[in-house]
Amino acid sequence: MNDHAQPGPPGRVLLIEDEPNIATAIAFILQRDGWRVSTHSDGATAIDAVSRHTPDVVVLDVMLPGKSGFDILSGLRSGDWTDLPVLMLTAKGQAKDRERAEALGVSRFMTKPFSNQDLLGAIRDLATLAPR
Amino acid sequence: MARPVPTGSRIRERRMTLGMRQAHLARAAEISPSYLNLIEHNRRAIGGGLLTRIAEALETDRATLSEDGDPALVESLRAAGAAQGMAVEYLDQAEEMARRRPEWARLIVTQAEAMAAQARTIEALSDRLTHDPTLADAMHELLSTVSVVRSTAAILAQTPDIDRNWLGRFHTNLDADSRRLAEGAEAIVSHFDREGTRGADRLLPSEAVARFLEGATAPLAQLEAEGVAAIPELVAGLDPDARALASDILQSDAADAARLPSPVVMAADGPDALIEAAGGDLALVLRRLGLLDPGRGLVICDAAGAILRRKAVAGFPLPVMGAGCPLWPVYGALTQPGHPIVALIETPDGAVWRAHAIASPTSQASFATPPVLRATMLLSRADDASARPAPVGPGCRVCPREACAARREPSVLSLAQGSRSRPA
Repeated sequence: MNDHAQPGPPGRVLLIEDEPNIATAIAFILQRDGWRVSTHSDGATAIDAVSRHTPDVVVLDVMLPGKSGFDILSGLRSGDWTDLPVLMLTAKGQAKDRERAEALGVSRFMTKPFSNQDLLGAIRDLATLAPR
Repeated sequence: MARPVPTGSRIRERRMTLGMRQAHLARAAEISPSYLNLIEHNRRAIGGGLLTRIAEALETDRATLSEDGDPALVESLRAAGAAQGMAVEYLDQAEEMARRRPEWARLIVTQAEAMAAQARTIEALSDRLTHDPTLADAMHELLSTVSVVRSTAAILAQTPDIDRNWLGRFHTNLDADSRRLAEGAEAIVSHFDREGTRGADRLLPSEAVARFLEGATAPLAQLEAEGVAAIPELVAGLDPDARALASDILQSDAADAARLPSPVVMAADGPDALIEAAGGDLALVLRRLGLLDPGRGLVICDAAGAILRRKAVAGFPLPVMGAGCPLWPVYGALTQPGHPIVALIETPDGAVWRAHAIASPTSQASFATPPVLRATMLLSRADDASARPAPVGPGCRVCPREACAARREPSVLSLAQGSRSRPA
């Protein structure tokens, strides 16, 4: 999936998303922007995947099999990943979900459907916050 | 309160408003003009058929002209004003308003009742959007699919140099996702179509029954007097689904009444005094006291926490729809079936209540199936209690305790006040 890499901010993105078609689209967009993208679809092992891939930015869906995005975010923030930029994606745009994510320490919260440009812009913004 | 305007003066005022000559009205009422003049100056009493004839000639009704007015209209008008927080001195003008401007008064009352009905409908729909898992799942699926279609279409439109493999893959995905989108949209339309067949006020059967049981014509008194024979007439006005549900509840209430008659209940000074008469059935004691004593409230829920029965009591607001406060002892009772709980709780306004709660099986258990549990909670005022009460609320949606650890959703109270911090 790196065939289309173009100059862009160097960095790794871990995409935790169980819907294969949206994972394909997001990965394609990010790779063309120069990102190295890893995908993971299982909520239960998502934190292990973060440890394994050591991404600069995590893109995290809320509704995942095994463990919700909220639980994963909580696990990251209570572990070794307190500063890791996490962009949360959800189709549940209710205020309580956003508030819950912010209370758990999310870096950015986007609701589906989103534009590709907004997604890219958000990840670029977050990458500048990533601890190096 | 303002002194009532005499009947004669009201006849004169009405006639002059219509621009009718005294002689014309006298002829229509089959009396002499001089006698009508005496009536209009309150020198002759009037009533009976003459008042009816004058009212007809003045194109109004007897109640409008009568000194006594229309008490029901006056009361409704006062209630409408009170509901909007109108000051007492203005509420006292309701009688004069009903008498002098009855058409406008009826319009105000009708509109106030319509507004109250719409508020109940909005609350019910709002609760359904929050608590309807079918609708929530369908919306989630739809938005997720829209997101894929939007991203994929943008890639295809904005990537002229995309290679053939990716092109084929995205076309295939787009085809599949557009089908999913159509199916998701149809699922939501079907959902609302089913909702639309539920009647004008779009109530679920459980909601209709809750309203029926709590309504101004609560069926308890007739049920106490006549037993199960009263049920068919009591539930006749409900839709079939709601009727069946209400019948089951009322039959259960009638059975309770037979086991623990109201005179016994009302003679007791609390739950403890009724245990022996109830044969040790503590839930029965709580149900009977809760339903019969206007000074006590009652909540019954199933093992999932869904409220099956609620009887409100002044000072302890219960949510009209949806779940109650997770801190209520009735939910704690579900964790230890058969063990009664007595706890002091405090509502957000500082009032202290004593809650008696117990969870009991409603079905026979077997080694293959656990019993079906139901928890019952009786609420009684306990302002003289010395122990420290536990803070509770009426349910998250209408609870002002912002920082409560048990909060599961924002309160509409804080939303209305704009006090919630918004994300950056």
